[in-house]
Amino acid sequence: MTDELGALTTIFTEFYYWITVVLMFLIHVGFCMYEVGASRYKHHQHTLMKNTMLIPLVTVTWFLFGWWIYWAFPTGPGLAPSIMNGSSALITDESTFSAKWYVPNSSLMAVNLGDHISGVFWAAFLLFSWTAASIVSGAVIERITTFAFGILAIAIGSVFWTIDAAWGWHFDGWMLKLLGYHDAYASGVIHACAGGFALGILAVLGPRIGKFTSSGEPRNIGPRNPWLVTVGLFLIYTGFWGFYAACNIPIFNLGPEYGMEGVTYFTATNIYVTPTTLSGITFNFLMSLSGGLLAGYVISKGDPFWTYSSGLAGVICASAGNDLYHPIQSLIIGMIGVVVAYKLHYWVERKFKIDDAVGAVAVHGYAGFAGLVICGFVLNGYPSSGYSVGAMWDGATYASINPLGMFIGALVMFVVLGFIPGWTIAKILHGMGKLRIPREVEIAGLDYEIMEAAREDEKSVASSTR
Amino acid sequence: MATVTNWIDHLSAKEVQGAIYPGVGSEGILVILLFIIWIGWHVISAKQENERHEKLARKRHGPNDWKSNVTDG
Repeated sequence: MTDELGALTTIFTEFYYWITVVLMFLIHVGFCMYEVGASRYKHHQHTLMKNTMLIPLVTVTWFLFGWWIYWAFPTGPGLAPSIMNGSSALITDESTFSAKWYVPNSSLMAVNLGDHISGVFWAAFLLFSWTAASIVSGAVIERITTFAFGILAIAIGSVFWTIDAAWGWHFDGWMLKLLGYHDAYASGVIHACAGGFALGILAVLGPRIGKFTSSGEPRNIGPRNPWLVTVGLFLIYTGFWGFYAACNIPIFNLGPEYGMEGVTYFTATNIYVTPTTLSGITFNFLMSLSGGLLAGYVISKGDPFWTYSSGLAGVICASAGNDLYHPIQSLIIGMIGVVVAYKLHYWVERKFKIDDAVGAVAVHGYAGFAGLVICGFVLNGYPSSGYSVGAMWDGATYASINPLGMFIGALVMFVVLGFIPGWTIAKILHGMGKLRIPREVEIAGLDYEIMEAAREDEKSVASSTR
Repeated sequence: MATVTNWIDHLSAKEVQGAIYPGVGSEGILVILLFIIWIGWHVISAKQENERHEKLARKRHGPNDWKSNVTDG
């Protein structure tokens, strides 16, 4: 960096993403609190440790191969040519945004005076990866082994969500070109995918002991500490601000980027490099949160667990198009998402005996899916990219946003990259006898021995006189 | 091991070398080490978890036995 303005822009961008990472850390804090609050006393510590250990596991694998996948897979491979090199193969050539620079032994994956962005951008995406894995974590509490959860967390956090991000979030992704896919703040890329993945696991894992009566009627296992759940969800809301900011590019000159001769136009953009504003998405974030809370309160008759979760579901449902919606549209879409999530949760629970302990599949999966479909109608006709506008299935150009493309995109996220991999890996782990904890351990409580040791410690301390 | 021994020389070079961590060129070995740590963690922690579960399962505690372990602080 040798000129002052260029240096200022670079350092600002570096700091901008760094701040988003710190804010997004609160999402994980929130998920941990929420899960512990939702679990029963005899499983608290195991529940916490399971969610905590996904941090190092996903981080290490994200360093080893997750980040590489994001940059290598936008073309499918084999589904649509890259706008950078015209090839449909994996992007591993010498181009600027090639995966070649993001192998773990690259000198850019370290302290490098020539690169101020890779590390903070890597970390921003890594925090998305933790979120994807943490969504799954809540659904499976009190009966999955830590070993199995670790494998599944790596699969969703460092492989499958990364592939869908390359396909539907990367500016060169094939889903934008063939389908006109648009998902600015990850209704599908994170939420529908992780929700579908969780549902796939739950179908194999089975319910907690006691969740259903012998006649198949579901019993309510409510949160044991509603205040921890409350604070947890407020922290997730807070971290979500960072998530929204991290999905934007803070300052970009779109004139030269789009090849417009003589045009200079500096703006913030979304992840697809199309214009939006931090100000506009702030309107929409808060209005969709409010829509979710309003609808959740009414539909659950004031149940705090569902009302708080509904705030999140409202944001998740509107997120696909929150870069462009009017705030009132965001609010209404948030409300619709909550109704869909709530109704589907109880229907699936009764019909298929699925025990989703924290409603993760509903809040993230169903609301995310609904958000993608709604986005296809509300943003019908908008360009999915600034680089070109073309027809669906063309591949060489970018299709416009449309209902059919968004519906197919939602299926890709929820089913193809979510449910099917989750179900398949869980089935393999189940076949190995590694998926579920022994029945006796589940009845006794995962923390039994820790609690027993604590009681002995307490006894010896209490009886001491000096 | 040191990649930089004099910042003035380093920053006034015609082309400033970006990578400044110790042992530039040894990244491949570091990646292999990380891979071993990652897989090794799974193996060791899975073994520990199995042992814990087997031991606890053998005791066949009832669903409310844990309550006798609650400490009063």
